[in-house]
Amino acid sequence: MGGLGRLRWLVIPLLVVPIGWLLFTGLGRDPRIIPSPLVGKPLPALSGETLDGAAWSSATLAGKPALVNVWASWCSPCVSEHPLLLDVARQHRDDLQMVGVLYQDTADGAAAFLAHYGDGGWPDVDDASGRIAVSLGVTGPPETFFVDADGIVRYHHVGPLTEQVLSEQLAALGLQP
Amino acid sequence: MTRWLPLAAALALAVAAVIVLVLLVQPAPPVTQEQQAAALAAELRCPDCESLSVAESRTAAATAIRAEISELLAAGRSPGDIRAAFVARYGEWILLQPTSPWIWLLPIVALLAGVALFGWWLLGRERPRRWPGTPALDAGATEAERQRIHDEVELLDG
Repeated sequence: MGGLGRLRWLVIPLLVVPIGWLLFTGLGRDPRIIPSPLVGKPLPALSGETLDGAAWSSATLAGKPALVNVWASWCSPCVSEHPLLLDVARQHRDDLQMVGVLYQDTADGAAAFLAHYGDGGWPDVDDASGRIAVSLGVTGPPETFFVDADGIVRYHHVGPLTEQVLSEQLAALGLQP
Repeated sequence: MTRWLPLAAALALAVAAVIVLVLLVQPAPPVTQEQQAAALAAELRCPDCESLSVAESRTAAATAIRAEISELLAAGRSPGDIRAAFVARYGEWILLQPTSPWIWLLPIVALLAGVALFGWWLLGRERPRRWPGTPALDAGATEAERQRIHDEVELLDG
């Protein structure tokens, strides 16, 4: 018993160190950031109908890096990232495939969005049923998946794209700006 | 040491009772495919709402997940398979309950550790005053010194 008494000074560090660690690691974390388990794995097989009424399948993405952008006309961060996507489409017309996934939206709403903010010419797949979003593990637009030429997801961005994210991730896919 | 034994025994009993209760309260495994689908939906977090399960929500994502659960069950996939399929897309985040039930014991372990630490601290604190044979703190002081200590303490107490 006498030995225990002398070790009393240990009580404070035993309490303070774990609590401090918990606060340090826990409070710095943004609970909205969800690590995507799809990164490093093949893009799930997706299919649907584009706004033009054509059948679309993710098999058409094979062979070139691809950018899959989940968006909706009611989503305001999608408005802020749209000019960046238009730029990317212009710069990488030949070496990047782009596809939009329309998340919980109407064809009319999407058409009005594109008429107002500019249509980059890439196909937009209507995902009214939410099947594609669920296959991709999407929680809410905008979300963007960077897929390499072998069909492996390299990066999953949640939230509006920024110039920095785009240039870094496109470079990681082997695309020159 | 022995006076801690009844307390420790009572705590151990309480912990055992909690574990038994947790095990007993778990619902019986669902039987029909519909019940299985509903049980799975209740285990998954709705991706486009906050703090609701897929079973409780009517958003598009929750509806799509429920439809997919039913399809996968109809295709003969096991509930474990289906759970894993959603974890592979959304991560462990999609599960409302952690995969390992042992995690529920963590708070109990933390509580026991806290009680043990507190007891240890109490023991250490009381020892100098209560241990038989320990000389009084003012042993060896003269009567004048004792009086002075007494006066100064009085002064401090106001």
